[in-house]
Amino acid sequence: MLARIAQELFWLGRDLTRAEFTARILDGAFHADVAGVASQRGVALSWEGVLATIGAKPPALGEEETEVPEYVALGRIEVARLLTLDTDSPASVVSCVARARERARTMRDVISTEMWEALNSFYLMLGGYDLHAALQTGPYSFYQDVKERCGLFWGLLDRTLLRDEGRAFLEAGGHIEQADMVLRMLRVAIPSGSLDLDPPALETEAIAMLHAVGGFQSYRRAVRTSPTVGPVVRFLLFDSAYPGSVSASVDALAEALTAADAQPRSSPPVLRLGRLTADLELQRRSPEPGAGIESVLEQVQGELELVDHDIDARYFAIAALAAVHL
Amino acid sequence: MSGWAWHPGPREVNIRVMSEVETEPAAAIAAGYAIPAGSRDELLDADGRPLSHARSLMAALDRLGPAALSAAGKRRDTIFMQQGITFEVAGSDGERRDRAWPLDLVPRVLTSAEWTIIKRGLAQRIRALNAFVDDVYHAHEIVQAGIVPWSLIVSRKEFARPVHGVRPPGGVYCHVAGCDLVRDGEGRWRVLEDNVRTPSGISYVLENRVAMTRLVPELFAGHSVRPVDQYPSLLLDALRAVAPAENEPTVVLWTPGAMNAAYFEHAFLARQMGVELVEPTDLVVRDAVCYMRTTAGLQRVHTIYRRLDDSFIDPLEFRPDSLLGVPGLVRAYRAGTVAIANAIGTGVADDKAIYYYVPEMIRFYLDEEPILENVPTYLLSNAKERAHVIGRLEQVVVKPTSESGGKGVFIGPHATRAEVQEQARMIEDDPSRWIAQELVHLSTAPTEIGDGRLEPRHVDLRPFAVFGEEIRIVPGGLTRVALQEGSMIVNSSAGGGSKDTWVLDDGDDTDPAGGRDSQLPPYRPPRLPDVRYGGTWSNQAQQQQQQRE
Repeated sequence: MLARIAQELFWLGRDLTRAEFTARILDGAFHADVAGVASQRGVALSWEGVLATIGAKPPALGEEETEVPEYVALGRIEVARLLTLDTDSPASVVSCVARARERARTMRDVISTEMWEALNSFYLMLGGYDLHAALQTGPYSFYQDVKERCGLFWGLLDRTLLRDEGRAFLEAGGHIEQADMVLRMLRVAIPSGSLDLDPPALETEAIAMLHAVGGFQSYRRAVRTSPTVGPVVRFLLFDSAYPGSVSASVDALAEALTAADAQPRSSPPVLRLGRLTADLELQRRSPEPGAGIESVLEQVQGELELVDHDIDARYFAIAALAAVHL
Repeated sequence: MSGWAWHPGPREVNIRVMSEVETEPAAAIAAGYAIPAGSRDELLDADGRPLSHARSLMAALDRLGPAALSAAGKRRDTIFMQQGITFEVAGSDGERRDRAWPLDLVPRVLTSAEWTIIKRGLAQRIRALNAFVDDVYHAHEIVQAGIVPWSLIVSRKEFARPVHGVRPPGGVYCHVAGCDLVRDGEGRWRVLEDNVRTPSGISYVLENRVAMTRLVPELFAGHSVRPVDQYPSLLLDALRAVAPAENEPTVVLWTPGAMNAAYFEHAFLARQMGVELVEPTDLVVRDAVCYMRTTAGLQRVHTIYRRLDDSFIDPLEFRPDSLLGVPGLVRAYRAGTVAIANAIGTGVADDKAIYYYVPEMIRFYLDEEPILENVPTYLLSNAKERAHVIGRLEQVVVKPTSESGGKGVFIGPHATRAEVQEQARMIEDDPSRWIAQELVHLSTAPTEIGDGRLEPRHVDLRPFAVFGEEIRIVPGGLTRVALQEGSMIVNSSAGGGSKDTWVLDDGDDTDPAGGRDSQLPPYRPPRLPDVRYGGTWSNQAQQQQQQRE
């Protein structure tokens, strides 16, 4: 498979998953916002937190308006606009989908026609959306649409795309992005020390977090204790039975790369992922991590970043080489 | 999103209705249909009655009615946007935007007898053009025979010195060819232009057919239309046949990139053939062997179906400023380690000045009479022919040689006096740059004009041929239609549209190519076990019993 195409597929998977999780996190934040959760400690799924999670910069203020921008509180209208339909913001859902669609357009020979059509009509649908009207009536249906369209794409992939190298890279992109997004959300949402308190009062926020990744029902079925911060974090990190957990994503990523690589036994990203899986398992078995959870989150995210570099170096560098010579 | 308005399938053929149509011929949907003077129509006669091969189609259109036809047109635009079957046009504000591919829902119909003539004529022409290219780069027999002047050949922009003396595998140069045909006022087919470089449009032929079967399945009732979807297999077979490989050749399709106007087609063909779609940065030549950069390192490439012009493919041999090229590719080609389709240097055969000589070529190389004629053409470098044309420029069409896509074409009857004088001056300046042709009154075909009504619009026809081990031609081809009333410019960039082209399987054909074999016994499906949709009968009976209680 062409290195350039492999890289495009990988990023197509990442972009689409990012769009989905942006919508999910916004949905969860809306839920928390409307439910009137405003605690100083504990889970903070605030609008600034959402922005930090997604890595979007707040809107640039004009030079004249330099009146301490950090006090300009971003409300749900601003953030929603910035992260959903703002074409100038690279982090918005519509930008992610536009990038994914543009990549898919140049790879219509690789992905299946049905996948392309699903993605293209998704893109066209976003163009026709009236966000202002949606915000008035509640943006639930918009986020629902985004989630469903992403689900449709991955479902069609499962049904129609050949299980070859290209598919493995596409899926790898989706998995690494999913693990990364969940880690980002957890790191932002859990201020240091909150796990020591773990008061039952924080239950609403923990539920909002579960909603944000679409894992509430799974949690209820899989875990017996009530959804307070500690068990929720452990669930989202370690529970490999839940497909959205970090540990499940890491496993799936390793599986995809093993399928894509001709010699997975000597492949740096696969080996690194093997170590990461073992690490996560060790952490899971150790007693309640408590305050140490932040360092675990940070460490896992750092490892994933290194995996990303390894993937670049092993599979895509040969294409980048050509671009440099040009 | 608006979904498919999926029709359950072709309606049953109503024989009674069809026989009624024969006694009451004029089609109501084409009321007020006026064929322009000097032209023929593809489906109707001068009185608006359907020609015999179009009777059941016009009857089906009548049954469908204008409202349903224009509704289908709206569905078509939505679906094409959704599927991304679009092309870019510059809007009035200068911004380029995607527009749905303009497909007219009234097909053009050809009888199989007529198609046989076109097919044979085309194959003959391509054989001659291929022989000519071989001759140009090797023996120069046609020059020595005094038919085509050598000075004319070497002065063509597409003459490729770097490949002189290189003979590709099988001696095939024109792997893919498309000729533009028109029907003149007398009803004869004439070749307007040859294209043996990178003819485009085949993807639209295939997509048009798929769209037609979805949007207006009613029209197919009562017809047996020859399929077109074998084209990608034909092409792949041809590309594999010419590959310099012992087993399992690697074929790639080379596109200049996603910005290219024909990118849709490149991706379409790559997908349909299951080959890699490569860009220049994906290919690399090491020691006169061509490779592509894959995730597992370099992988050998055997055949390149390239969709860009000669001058860009190798900066070491052609344009040094080309960023689209692969350095060293011509060296690999000369070494015979990679096949390139179409071969380098074929452009010399579809030059407009060379076109003039094609009938002579057919006689010279094949010792046959041309089946398809040229449009009467005058070489303006010839003083006698120039004198014949220069005084009546307002009656002819003048085209620059070495150009394509309708660039710089002068149409006499549409020109102002000043434009005629300007053209005369340019011809006198450099007569060898120009050819003149008699104006052909392109045939018309009924075309839906937006509100469900049909009006005559001018059409041409571009069939596509593939030359690997033998020449194979897909039934029909791309019918392009000038959507402006009276216009004869069919290019999609100039407001042209397209039509599905039907070649009927009406048993009139003397040599069916890939057609169905009527010798086969009727097919009887095997008996299969009954399908169950739940528990056993007794189970269901029990459930019903329980519900009642």
